[in-house]
Amino acid sequence: MKYFTSLALLLFTLQAKAQNAAPSWLEESLYGNGKINTVVIVVAIIYLGIGLWMFSMDRKLSRMEKKLKP
Amino acid sequence: MKYWWKFLGIGLLLFASIAALRTPLSPALVHVSPDRVAPGPAVVEVLGYNTNFQKGSTVGYLENAGQRVCGSAEVIDATHLRLTLEVPAGMKDHLTTVGIDQLRYDGALFTEGLGSGIESGACGPGVNKIDLSGVAFTFPNRSILYESIRNLHFHVPMWFAMIFLMGISVVYSIRTLGSNSLEHDRASVSAAQVGLVFCALGLITGAVWARATWGAFWTNDVKLNGAAVTGLIYLAYLVLRGSVQDAHKRARLAGIYNIFAFVLLVLFLFVVPRLNAIDSLHPGNGGNGGFSDLDLDNRLRAIFYPAVLGWILLGVWMFTLKNRASKLNDQLDR
Amino acid sequence: MAVARPTCVRPYAGSAHSYLRTVKFAEITHLVRLEVALDLRQRATWAGMLLYVVSAVYVCFLAVKSGLGTATWNALFWIILLFAAFNALARSFQREDGGRQLYLYTLVDPRSVILARAFYNAVTMVVLSLLSLAVYLLLLGSSNLDNADMGQFLFAVVLGGIGFASVLTLISAIAARAGNGIGLMAILGFPLVLPLLLLVMRASKLALDGVAWSVISTYFGGIVLLDLITITLAWILFPYLWRD
Repeated sequence: MKYFTSLALLLFTLQAKAQNAAPSWLEESLYGNGKINTVVIVVAIIYLGIGLWMFSMDRKLSRMEKKLKP
Repeated sequence: MKYWWKFLGIGLLLFASIAALRTPLSPALVHVSPDRVAPGPAVVEVLGYNTNFQKGSTVGYLENAGQRVCGSAEVIDATHLRLTLEVPAGMKDHLTTVGIDQLRYDGALFTEGLGSGIESGACGPGVNKIDLSGVAFTFPNRSILYESIRNLHFHVPMWFAMIFLMGISVVYSIRTLGSNSLEHDRASVSAAQVGLVFCALGLITGAVWARATWGAFWTNDVKLNGAAVTGLIYLAYLVLRGSVQDAHKRARLAGIYNIFAFVLLVLFLFVVPRLNAIDSLHPGNGGNGGFSDLDLDNRLRAIFYPAVLGWILLGVWMFTLKNRASKLNDQLDR
Repeated sequence: MAVARPTCVRPYAGSAHSYLRTVKFAEITHLVRLEVALDLRQRATWAGMLLYVVSAVYVCFLAVKSGLGTATWNALFWIILLFAAFNALARSFQREDGGRQLYLYTLVDPRSVILARAFYNAVTMVVLSLLSLAVYLLLLGSSNLDNADMGQFLFAVVLGGIGFASVLTLISAIAARAGNGIGLMAILGFPLVLPLLLLVMRASKLALDGVAWSVISTYFGGIVLLDLITITLAWILFPYLWRD
């Protein structure tokens, strides 16, 4: 919990230092909490990518099964 | 145990992923307010990250061109300090470093009233108010990167896996030319296809990380160009395959292109950047220190190498699956 | 037919010792002469290449007029040259339709064919590069050459032309064999030309800035190395392309 308050403060101060204009939603989500969200997005993309590959492999196998049946 | 390497791959990935996400960052000073310092009495609020300051007061200092101004630091809470000191006129450098005990924030303050240097104060070790216990294994806490240094263990292994798979592809291409066998050709294209999956993942994750650290999704950087060229080469390889009907001719043409392209790719990735001395934003290029110059880089390595090996093994596994599936598909079509 | 030495009719068989065969200079000379003779007979192809370059430069002239900075001037020149190279070299194996290829195949070592073709293409590209440079200077002005070391710059242009030829000769052969001409060649060739293009653009930019030889010679060395590697690879790989 004590990390959280400091992280929130860090976000605020980092933003203030980086630029005076209001941060966009993108910057807010990427830079938030010591940039941990960047890691979250990266890990999510990798899992999604491998998952999509599994899905395509699945479909390929289904197609072959269909061919095999008759 | 026939499948040992698959279990090894999963184990390594599990270890590397958990360790990459769970290891805390080392304590560091990440922000000071105000951000400039002028001669006269000054109060600087210091924000720590993952620090656990103990209530009380300790020694803090400003450092400019190796010359120190000592002050006293009042702990507000676990992550906040207030540094009070008397700043003399005539500091040499534009940037002044803030230090509290063992922690330093290099170039934290913009210096006003420059001169030819000051008399350096001797700041003895203060009462240790920074509790560094319980943080034996941590990742380096680097400004700008902060938590996103963990991406090193996710984004970078994509490239290692990709290059490894392209290497498998080219080895099978060489064997194709030697044996004229369609089996080898199939293995070659399967490896290239799986390699392209890793290429795409590497590019997308790289773009996200680049946006967070450099402020743009795509920069003109040698490493990025190398990745893009690799993608283009292997997409062209697939296009070439698609445009030839006869299977044996296709195998030969694709094999020749693959070998030729891979050699040029290796030159492009590893030789041209050195020759060209192009500035790169990536660590380890063009005057940009590698991650290895971080203190205690072995902490990163201990997780990075298992991650690379794990992803390579997963890539090889995906390649064998793909290869077996397309083999079955070919047999069904016949 | 001027091609001599029918003693070496043995087609490539993929055996290990064929790697050890030496380069057959007599055969190569004959093949180059053949190329020249064929090109002299079809002057339209050369006229076509030149017209392509002139049109490209003229389009650039209309688009930007003059007053380009040195970096842009340099980049534009190399881009024009890159497209000219693709256009010029794409036809280098298009002549080999069925009959003629089979005929050459029975007569000479395929390695002689690729070396002769690479050499001839290199000469073509050098001539084409220098002519493009002349047209480019004429239309877009030569004010960017004020500080340039002309010797270095011309050397960079010549080396770049030879480099394009050495990379694209094998690619052109692959594209022709795939039966899909210039479109496929562009797709296959662009990513492979990039390392060379980056080096040569950097080198010519340095030459335009007039740096010392010691600085620029590294780049020239790199380009020559790249050329040698690509020619060697073409020499090793081409026989497989011919086999049917």
